[in-house]
Amino acid sequence: MSSVVKSACLSVILLVAVAGPGCGAASPREPIIGVAMAHFDDNWLTILRTAMADHASGLPGTALQFSDAQGDVARQLSQMQNFVTQGVAAVIVNAADTSATPGMTKIAREARVPLVYVNRRPAESTLPPGVVFVGSDDLQAGTLQMEELARLMNYQGNVAIMVGELASNGAQLRTKAVEDVVAKYPRMKIVEKQVANFQRERGLDLMNNWLTAGAAIDAVAANNDEMAIGAIMAIQQAGIQSRNILVGGVDATPDALAELAKGTLAVSVFQDARGQGRGAVDAAVKLSRGESVDSFVWIPFELVTRENFKSFVNR
Amino acid sequence: MGIFLVLAGIVVLFELVGWSVRGASFLFNAQRLLVMVLQVSIIGLLAIGVTQVILTGGIDLSSGSVVALSAMIAASLAQTASARAVFPSLVDLPAAIPIAAGLATGAAAGLVNGNLVAFTRIPPFIATLGTMVTARGLARYYTRGQPVSMLTESYTRIGEGALPVVIFVAAAVVFHVLLRYTRYGKYTYAIGANAQAARISGIRVDRHLVLVYTVAGLLSGLGGVMTSARAASGQAGMGMTYELDAIAAAVIGGTSLTGGIGRITGTVIGTVILGVMTSGFTFIGFDAYIQDIVKGAVIVLAVVIDRYRHRDAHT
Repeated sequence: MSSVVKSACLSVILLVAVAGPGCGAASPREPIIGVAMAHFDDNWLTILRTAMADHASGLPGTALQFSDAQGDVARQLSQMQNFVTQGVAAVIVNAADTSATPGMTKIAREARVPLVYVNRRPAESTLPPGVVFVGSDDLQAGTLQMEELARLMNYQGNVAIMVGELASNGAQLRTKAVEDVVAKYPRMKIVEKQVANFQRERGLDLMNNWLTAGAAIDAVAANNDEMAIGAIMAIQQAGIQSRNILVGGVDATPDALAELAKGTLAVSVFQDARGQGRGAVDAAVKLSRGESVDSFVWIPFELVTRENFKSFVNR
Repeated sequence: MGIFLVLAGIVVLFELVGWSVRGASFLFNAQRLLVMVLQVSIIGLLAIGVTQVILTGGIDLSSGSVVALSAMIAASLAQTASARAVFPSLVDLPAAIPIAAGLATGAAAGLVNGNLVAFTRIPPFIATLGTMVTARGLARYYTRGQPVSMLTESYTRIGEGALPVVIFVAAAVVFHVLLRYTRYGKYTYAIGANAQAARISGIRVDRHLVLVYTVAGLLSGLGGVMTSARAASGQAGMGMTYELDAIAAAVIGGTSLTGGIGRITGTVIGTVILGVMTSGFTFIGFDAYIQDIVKGAVIVLAVVIDRYRHRDAHT
């Protein structure tokens, strides 16, 4: 799609508020796959969306039509219904709210349209035939992060956990995985665990508080890179040599890669937006042809270290 | 000052629990005293602004979003030339330029608030709610949600060490003097006590309201500059719900939401109470799931105790 067509599509979608049919770049014969995104403006989701578009353009006979829920579940639900009424070959949903997925699953099943959830794991523990999830396992992110920190700590010392948001599924799973890894090693212990809302300033304040409380912390396992960078800033401002306290994050954001290059961040974990995008499109195409796909398609997280960070700069 | 007793009570409580949990003093630690105020100094700046708005009988819900917008605009001008993404052609600018841009952004938002309140006759709650949503939207739109990082050292230096505390205290002193000893203060209290009477006695109420909202906006802009300097990054999610913490600080400090009653000294103590709670909870390792429940109860309780003592003193 040219950028003119793209922006024209976007304006029409925004004007009509619900994704109106008839604004796809596809020729009428091609089967269309409807993609209901939670946000168009989110940084990571934009990479995911672009990856899906790029991958689909390389597959003959596959065209995608996107809609933007702007974070609104109700809007996403009506966009999805529009796709189904329009007679799309399959629907890919990046859920605006994962607790609302049972309703979407029902719509797709009743209309017999294949459904692929991408990135955000649906609320259901099992998915019916014709419905699959493509994404990454947050437990793995926490495990990779903490195993690497543990290795760098020689499997001994005190760990502090910076939790993202209490209600966030990703934060809960990453935290649980970190706790499970620490529990494996008898000479390691979790001494602190507090919330910093995935934010850099909150991470900075929390680390300041920990440092003044005098807790002996050898490593900080943060649920995301932003909080990890906050912790690094607090450590540096307190005048403690950063190599004394290891800090780990998740996401491999450009800022985090810069910290890895400086050696202040010990580890991050890369969530593969392109892998998830390709996986989702492939699953949708297979399902629309009547082929079977595993209910849960896991795209692995990848460990990012001071040694290999360069290979993630352009991913 | 009933609220001072509340603060003392909270500190003593943390001191006692702290000794049994950590075996160390909560209060007698210079570093911790600094951190307690440091982490709320930006909320304190907003609280000083919103106190004045509340004194006129109004409210400002936009301060947190204005922090984000000012932070984004200031940060985009403070990027180092090598990393510059928003304005690629520019060289490293002296810190004064991004600071001025951030302050101007805040003042402009305040100017809009003031004019809406003074001349459209819509309630301040709605006027500033609109600005809250729009400013957050602008902050996201500015870089399409991308963070603005890699800021010059001359800029980030203003957010380091105790400087945010110094600026917070300086702002408190300035506005304490302005409110108590100048015509600016007399008009502010007069309008809040009885706008009609103020108008009849010759005060140009509309013009003064615009001034007060602009001052509050300017302080939010300063908050945005300090936040982005402190985090060495401008992000659209910054300052989320800060407006509510700022209003809480003002009200805990004895500012009456009906207008005409309140002091900057009270607001400073209200702000410090919020900081003491954050540090205290972390110090005693309080379960993160329970912290907000207790924090909300303490806010209400503090106001109840203050009002109760207030009534005692006057009957």
